[in-house]
Parts: sequence; structure tokens; C-alpha cells
Amino acid sequence: MNRMMLRLYCLFALGLWSAGVVIADDKCLTCHETLGDNPSTLFKHDIHRTKGITCAGCHGGNANSDEMDQAMDKNAGFIGVPKGDQISQVCARCHSNAEKMGQFRASVPAGQLERLEASVHGSLATSGKERIAQCSTCHNAHGIVSVRNPASPVYPLNVVGTCTTCHANAAYMRTYNPSLPVDQLDKYRTSVHGMRNGKGDPKVAECASCHGSHDILSVKDVKSAVYPTNIPSTCSKCHSDAKHMKEYKIPTDQFEKFSKSVHGVALLQKQDISAPACNSCHGNHGAGPPGVSSVSNVCGTCHALNAELFSSSPHKKAFDERKLPECETCHSNHEIIVATNKLLGVTPEAVCSSCHSPSQNVKGYAVAKAMRSLVDSLSTEEQQAIALVREAEQKGMEVTDAEFKLRDAHQARLQSRTTVHSFDEAKLREVVLKGLNATTFASDEAHSALDEYVFRRIGLGIATLIITILAISLYLYIRRLEGRQRLGEKNTPTFPQR
Amino acid sequence: MKPLWRRLYDWVDERVQLGGLVEFMGKKYVPIHRHSVWYYFGGVSLFLFLIQVVTGILLLLYYKAGEEYAFESIQFLMSKVQFGWLIRSIHSWTANLFILTAMIHMFSVFFEKSYRKPREITWVTGMLMFFLALGFGFSGYLLPWNELAFFATKVGTDIAGIIPVIGKPVMIFLRGGPEVTGATLTRFFGFHVAVFPGIFTVLLGIHLVLVQRQGMSEPLDEPTGSEGEQKAMPFFPNFLLRDLLLWLIVLNLLAILAVFFPWELGMKADPFASAPAGIKPEWYFLFMFQTLKYIPAKLLSIDGEVLGILLFAFAGLLWTLVPFWDRKSSRGERNRFINYIGLFVVVYIMILTIIGWST
Repeated sequence: MNRMMLRLYCLFALGLWSAGVVIADDKCLTCHETLGDNPSTLFKHDIHRTKGITCAGCHGGNANSDEMDQAMDKNAGFIGVPKGDQISQVCARCHSNAEKMGQFRASVPAGQLERLEASVHGSLATSGKERIAQCSTCHNAHGIVSVRNPASPVYPLNVVGTCTTCHANAAYMRTYNPSLPVDQLDKYRTSVHGMRNGKGDPKVAECASCHGSHDILSVKDVKSAVYPTNIPSTCSKCHSDAKHMKEYKIPTDQFEKFSKSVHGVALLQKQDISAPACNSCHGNHGAGPPGVSSVSNVCGTCHALNAELFSSSPHKKAFDERKLPECETCHSNHEIIVATNKLLGVTPEAVCSSCHSPSQNVKGYAVAKAMRSLVDSLSTEEQQAIALVREAEQKGMEVTDAEFKLRDAHQARLQSRTTVHSFDEAKLREVVLKGLNATTFASDEAHSALDEYVFRRIGLGIATLIITILAISLYLYIRRLEGRQRLGEKNTPTFPQR
Repeated sequence: MKPLWRRLYDWVDERVQLGGLVEFMGKKYVPIHRHSVWYYFGGVSLFLFLIQVVTGILLLLYYKAGEEYAFESIQFLMSKVQFGWLIRSIHSWTANLFILTAMIHMFSVFFEKSYRKPREITWVTGMLMFFLALGFGFSGYLLPWNELAFFATKVGTDIAGIIPVIGKPVMIFLRGGPEVTGATLTRFFGFHVAVFPGIFTVLLGIHLVLVQRQGMSEPLDEPTGSEGEQKAMPFFPNFLLRDLLLWLIVLNLLAILAVFFPWELGMKADPFASAPAGIKPEWYFLFMFQTLKYIPAKLLSIDGEVLGILLFAFAGLLWTLVPFWDRKSSRGERNRFINYIGLFVVVYIMILTIIGWST
């Protein structure tokens, strides 16, 4: 025990000695402390000071000299207060040098300046003389502490305030991007993330969680973590992490489900950036789950007609009364699959049958059955018409008019899928009939083309036969004629050589 | 009582004295030798030209020249007009067969040296008709105003624009402006249905009159008969009936081609769309197109394409004027050099066309 105590004492003494050396050597700080200026006050708690870096580490000069001339001698590398890009270059002398960072046993990775330079903040400021942001813009100049220290301006609970110093300043932001909103903080505070962050939860997402820190890219940049196709994986960094999400008691399978959904396939596999990502439904800075009554508004931002028809349908009232989330009840939320005719009707796989049965909600049961029959008939007729037109086309027949009508039929089928959301059989019948007229026209045209195809071949056969008979007759006539000529004239007619 | 046709003939003869013409026709003979088969290609070309005239007039009943109407009018013709598809298919197939048979006719005349004195004018009129046939093909190709035709015309007129000094004005004249537009279409339509047929008819008239007046030429190296006389057959009716027989076979071939391989219309031309991949001219221009691809961009400080076009123009001129520089053949002497040139040209055209087609 005594031996252990002795060891600890020795270590403590060594620590004190080291600190003593550092402090004793930084003559700059000694003088500036007596002046009582702000930088020296802040620097006393700076992480760099605890690592043995003196004022001269950044400002140059001789920190061991009491003499001002010697301490601030330009020949000794004194640069005074660094300005503009020089600030970041001073930091990068160590922070972009992995070997040097290793000497300080720092866990901070090197190369931040390079990432900053490549980021949106690395572009030229409106002054035209320096980058938009320097290291000190976010980390401060003196009094820098570890990012894990709650006093740091980049500590999760403080990041939002740090970023909004500029990003909530409309006049400042206008000079760079007038269309960029400046209400991110207001929205963020309404989000689940923002509310928890405001209550002191450092685990929830803040600006840097989604946008990155040094390497922030424009949202239009495909490499950006918030580019539409990257958003699901950015959100899933936390939301698919069961350990991270454990205390929040929400599922962690959203990304898995979304990837399989019609939206996920369009966005992630087809790279269709018009398809919705997480933020399209949940919001981005104001992210949160949409309320039960606002689901149709969320989906309706894209599926406007469907939402409008649903809102004026009898289902709106029924869903509201039962507190059923509108679109989600039939289509699910994250795992929305392609809606087929099977979703409609009274068969076991149809969603209508979960509320309507021959004994319960009978009227709806009959309407669902009739509507399914209507959409099925249009689909079947359209498929048959397509097959006929393709057959005629493959046989080289001209079926442009039928092709046009097929487009009308396709349009009518799409319209019928929308009209289904009115849950009005008469309305649907009107649309389906329009489609059926188009398919009938296309089928008739294709039939005519196929009949014409047969007619052409028969016609060709007859024409070829007639021409062949004529040709053979002519051949026989020539033979007979020349035979007669040979008999009539002993010698072949001749003519004098030219 | 005389038969009706005889009475009709007598009625005409009484007024225009057909006797001399009939006597002339009766005395006209066609030489018989191992190369006689080539004589028929002139007749087949004439037959195909007549088909073009007839089908062309039928197409004119429905065709509307203009950027907005041309494609639609052909589409209407092919889908709604009774036998419209057949007329268009036959017109398109005949156009190609016409150039093919005209080519064969030209080369057979060249190898037989039939252009020699006294048939220099017949050869020159034939060559001019051949160039006009290419003009017919080039101008007619654009008329449906489809995607392929549009870009082929763009490339074709671009090439014309490369010719030094006169190239640019010629290109502007052909296009009716700096770009291929509706103005080009109406211009090409005018060439195709009025200017070219007018000139062609005059040349064809001269060509046919000369052929009838001078008779068929016989090869230089053909052995003469025992008494210095050549085997022959009467032009009327023997040769004419054989011609008719071949025409019937060609007609049959055309019907089969038109039904089994109907000429496609493709997509309507869109001047703002990018050119479809692998755009090629018609097969009879392929050898020139392919040659221009092989010529380096710069050759002795001259632009490669300019050099290529000038070389083709010079070669075409030499070819047209062959009766005037091949003195040996005109004197009745054998000239193997001409055979070698002809052979080289045939092989060159065939190889370059095949390469152009397959790449």
C-alpha cells in the first residue's frame, strides 16, 4: 500500500514539475497576465497550454525572454496577431502534421485544414482575401478546450449556437446565398432532436451530426451527407444503432424498411432524387414524426390529388374518429410497397377487408368489391390491347394511332388509381370507362393491322402467282417464237460487223 | 375484216407514217455473244425508273412538303391510305434497286468499252443520269423528315460545305440557310419532283434515241463470224420480249421486298435532339463516307476531308470523260489498263461499302 502511495506521489510530483516548467517558461503569459488582457486570461485554461504549448507556439517569437524586444523579435519568427487565412495555417502547422500530433498524444485526427479547404466554408469570403471560416471561427482563438468539454463552442450542446452565429444572421448569409434559409435554429428547436438538445442531451443530432464538421459540403454536392441519396444513411447512423437508440425506445428498422420501399428503391437504387428521403416526410431541421392527423398532408405534398380526394371522401371522418393515421393505415409508413390492384377489394390481401366485411360496414364492402372489379377489368383490357399492338408492331405493321390510344389507356389507369382514393364507385367508373374506350380502340386498330398483315400476304401470293404465270407464258412464247424463226430461216439473222 | 388493232394501227399510220419507224425497228438487231446478258441492265434500269415515276406520282397525291406535315403525311399514307404502304415501300426499294442496276449497267459498259467512238455522247448522258440518280436518292431520302434522314442530310450537306471556295455557298443553297430546316425540305422536294425529273427526262430521251440510232455495241475482243459477220437476234420482238420477261421477274422481286421488308418510317426528325449513334448515309454513298473517315485530318498541310472530296470529284470527272482519253479503245485496240482501273474501282467500292456497313 505504501509502495503504491509512493508511486502516486512521484507521478503527481512529476506532473507538477512538468506544468511548472511550462508555466515558468512562458514569459509572454507572465507579462500579459500582469496586463490583465482577455487572451491571457482565456489561455490559462486552453488545452494547448496543458500540452506545453506557449504563446510563441502560435504567435512565434521567444517565450523564454523577459525582454519585449527579444520576445517579439521578428527574426525569432514573431508574427503578432495572425490574420485571415494565416490563422488556420498557424493551427495547421501542428493539426495537419500527424507526427507532431502524435507527440502531444492527441486523439484528434490530423488534416482538418485540408478538409476545411475542400468544404463549402473553404470557398473565398466576400472580402476576396480569405476563406469564409477559419479554425478560430468555431473553436475560438484562446481558451480552446476539448470538444468533449461542455465549455467548448463545438460541444454538442453548443454547436447549434456556434453555427447560428452566422447561419441565423440574415444580413450576413444574404451576402453568400440569399436563398439559404436562416431559420434553421427556430425549426431545430421544434424538432425532437432540438428539444432534447435544449434539455441537455448531447447524444441527439445537432448540426455537425448531419452536415459534418470540417468537411461540410453544399447540399447540392453528391458527396454531401445531406445530399438526397445520402440522407437515409446519414439518419441511419444513429437511428439504426440499437445501442445508441436504446434509451429513446423507438424502433431501429426504419432504414431497412425504407430501403425495400417504393421510395427507397427509387432513391437509393435508381438514384432518383425526386423520390422522398427521410427529411421529405419528417422535415430536416425540424425533424419529428408527423402526427396522425397530418399524415395525409405530408404524403399530399407529392401525392396531392390522392390527398385531396381522400380528404373529401367518407373515409376522412371515419379515420379521424378512430384516430387512424390516414395514408399509413393502408400503405404503411417506411415500408411502402408498390400499390397494386390487390390492395383494393375484399380479398384477404386487400386492405379494405380489414374494416369491411359482409357483416360489418356492408356498404363499403360492396363498393370495395365493385371498385376492384373495375380496376381489374381496365388492367386486363390494357394488357390484352398492349399484346395485340406489340404483335402487329412486330409484324412490321403501322400502328401509331393504336400506340397513342395505349398511352390514353395508361393515363386512364393511372388516373383510376388516384380516383380510388375518393372511394366513390361512380367517379371511378367514369375514369375506367374512358380507359376501356381507349383500349377498345387500340385493340380494334391492332386487329385491323393483323388482318391487313394476312391480307398483304395473301395479296402477295396472288400477285406473285399472276406475275409468275405471265413470266412463264412469256418465256414459252419466246421459245416458240424463236423456234419458229429458226425453222423459217435456215440461217440465224446476221448483221454486218461495225 | 381486219382485226381492231390493225385498223387502229392503219389509222395512226395514215396520219403519222409509222411505216419508216416500223421498218427501222424490224431491221434492228442485238448482237449475241457471251457478254449479251449485260445488255439487259439498261432495260431493267429504265423499267425501274418508270416504276419510280408512277409510284412517285401516286405518293405526290398525299405527300405534303413541310416541317410540320411531311412526316405526318407519310404516316397517314402508310396507315390509312389503301395500298399506301405498298406504294411507298415499292418507291423506296425501287430507288435502291435502280441505283444498283444503273451501277451494274455503267460498269458493264465500262468493261466492254462500249463508250468508245461513236458512243461518247451516250456514255456522257448515262453518267449524268447516274449522278442525277444519286441526287434523286439524296433528295428523296430527306422527304419523310424522319430522324435518320435529317441527320444524314446534315452530314451530307456538311461534306458539301467543305469544298474550297464554292462549298459554303453550295451548302447554303442546298439547305436554304445555314442549317437543315423546313426550308431544306421544301427545296429538296422541288429538286426531287421537278428539277431532277425534268433534266433526267431530257437526258434519258437523248440516251435512248442514241441507243436506238446506233444500236448495241459489241465487245472488242469478241471473235467475229466466219464471214466477218456477228450472231444477232432481232430487237423486235425477241430482245424486247426477253426484256419484258426480266421486268416481270424484277416486279415480282419488288413485290416480295415490299411485303416482307416494308420500308420503315422511324421517328420524326427533331432538330434539337442529338444525332442517333452510328448514323450512316445510304449504301451508295458509304464508300465515299468511309474513305473520308480514313483520310488523316491533315495531309501535306491540306485538310484531309477537302483532299478526299477533291479526289472523288476528280475521279468522277475522269470516269465521265473516259471516252475522250481512252484513245486505244476508240481505235479498236485492246486496252487492259482500263480493265485494271475498272476492277480497282469495283473492288474498292465493294470493300469500303462492306466495311462502312459492318462498322
